Amino acid sequence: MQAMLNTGSTIEEGRLAKGGSKLTEEYTQECAVCEMNPVDFQAMGSPQRVLISAMDGRHSVSVYAYAADSVERGQIFMPRAIWANVVVDPETFSTGSPLYKGSPVRVEATFEDVLNAGDLVLKLYARGR
Amino acid sequence: MMASKNIVCPVCGASCDDIQVELSGDKINVKNACKMGNAKFQEIVSSHRISQPLLREKGIVRPCPWEEAIERTAEILADASRPLIFMGSETSCEAMEVGLHLAEFLGAAVDSNSTVCHGPTAMGIQEAGRVGATAGQSKSRGDLAVYWGSNPLESMPRHMSRYAVYPRGYWTQRGRFDRTIITVDPRKSITAENSDLHIQLRPNTDYELLSALLVLLHGKRPHPSVEKVTGVSISQMEEMLELMKSCNFGSIYVGLGIASSYGKHRNAEAAFNLVKELNARTKFVIGALRGHCNVAGFNQIASYLYGFPFGLDFSRGYPRYNPGEYTAVDLLRERDVDCALIVSADLVSHFPAACAEYLAEIPVACIDIAPCPTTMISDVVLPGVIDAMECDGTFYRLDDVPIYFQPFTKSPFSNTKSNADTMKQIFEKVKALKR
Repeated sequence: MQAMLNTGSTIEEGRLAKGGSKLTEEYTQECAVCEMNPVDFQAMGSPQRVLISAMDGRHSVSVYAYAADSVERGQIFMPRAIWANVVVDPETFSTGSPLYKGSPVRVEATFEDVLNAGDLVLKLYARGR
Repeated sequence: MMASKNIVCPVCGASCDDIQVELSGDKINVKNACKMGNAKFQEIVSSHRISQPLLREKGIVRPCPWEEAIERTAEILADASRPLIFMGSETSCEAMEVGLHLAEFLGAAVDSNSTVCHGPTAMGIQEAGRVGATAGQSKSRGDLAVYWGSNPLESMPRHMSRYAVYPRGYWTQRGRFDRTIITVDPRKSITAENSDLHIQLRPNTDYELLSALLVLLHGKRPHPSVEKVTGVSISQMEEMLELMKSCNFGSIYVGLGIASSYGKHRNAEAAFNLVKELNARTKFVIGALRGHCNVAGFNQIASYLYGFPFGLDFSRGYPRYNPGEYTAVDLLRERDVDCALIVSADLVSHFPAACAEYLAEIPVACIDIAPCPTTMISDVVLPGVIDAMECDGTFYRLDDVPIYFQPFTKSPFSNTKSNADTMKQIFEKVKALKR
């Protein structure tokens, strides 16, 4: 399905990021997450994991999926962290600030493994290193 | 055991200045800090702290002497034709000042977290002006708070208790019971759950909602289509506006819901204009909820040193400002720089993928306190000193009030007293190389 991505702080994400724990399993469990409206979640077959893809198809990331009443239909919420930013639209509309909120994305059920932040960097970014 | 009081927390824009710490060997006991603050204070004794400089050569990372790391960082900057210097927000104004002067010397681009945080809000201020107040004024006089696109219970946990909601004030002798809280958010966040009114607009429709409120304030009725566009009924807008008009002193705290979503600086401009107009009815102010500790500092320092609040380019020898062209996300997305010095920020995590990909291709030096995706791709990693814990300096609070902080211990490194000191050493070495 197509959805509107909203990224933002969660208190646990803040605790782990400020505590220098970005490369830990706990950070992955807290931040490699997609919260969906329960109706959308069930329509997708209540998947354990979903693949979030940017609309241009260039980048995608697998994260854990959860149903959450706080999110409206057609929207998803991801904690602000490396997983969400893989699919955030880099266009800044001449402001310097990307679309951290309100980026259109595609969401589908997946069996792809969820990578921790370190493995995600190695897979997506650090090929030349 | 060493006990210290009135320590400033170096985590978010609230700059809480009532932290108490007891440091004893490898243990630190922290009082008054929130969950995020406590986690940061624990960094001072953590086992994962970056304790020595690291150098990457031919794909192998090795510890190196301090002087070698400074030398290599300076070489990266001096050899580049278009460097990017990124002054993150978790360091002092004193370090930012050195970074700005270094950028001028090199003819580099220099930017900060303030751009991806409230850069559009700063642009909105340039368009419309801002009716503002210190956090103390809002605390003492405010009886209505609007959290627009912000979720302070998770991003600035003590904002409500220190500045906006729970304290007793001039009009609010019973604290929370005498204050009205409105939250505007597409998501039912915990802040929204704890508010008196939650306006649940559709994503990317802040501009339309703000415009409709302005129309209502002018005594006209907005076009009915605004209900479909925003997902908010006109009667709800009227209810919200009535609360805003009838308060004694209102404060809007805008978050990234305004700055990061579609509409950007035009959203901020509309919010500032709404507040200006509300002052014909009552006293109303507006300010940004600044997520990182000294994110306001870069705007202040860059403005008074070079005239522009963020995204400065010195490639012609004088400062130029054009958001969308000289700003870090755009420079990296367009592959328009050829090296980067990143201070106290994790761009690989928090910038979009196109930017992170390019950062992994160019020479990068960074200053940081803990391993993170940015240290993983860096060619040089210099250990960071934790401001407000290990060195003194200045932060600007969310309301642009400068807060001087003093440490309760000293830098654990013999080669540097602070990030400002490290930046000065890099600058001196760059000057020597360019001579």
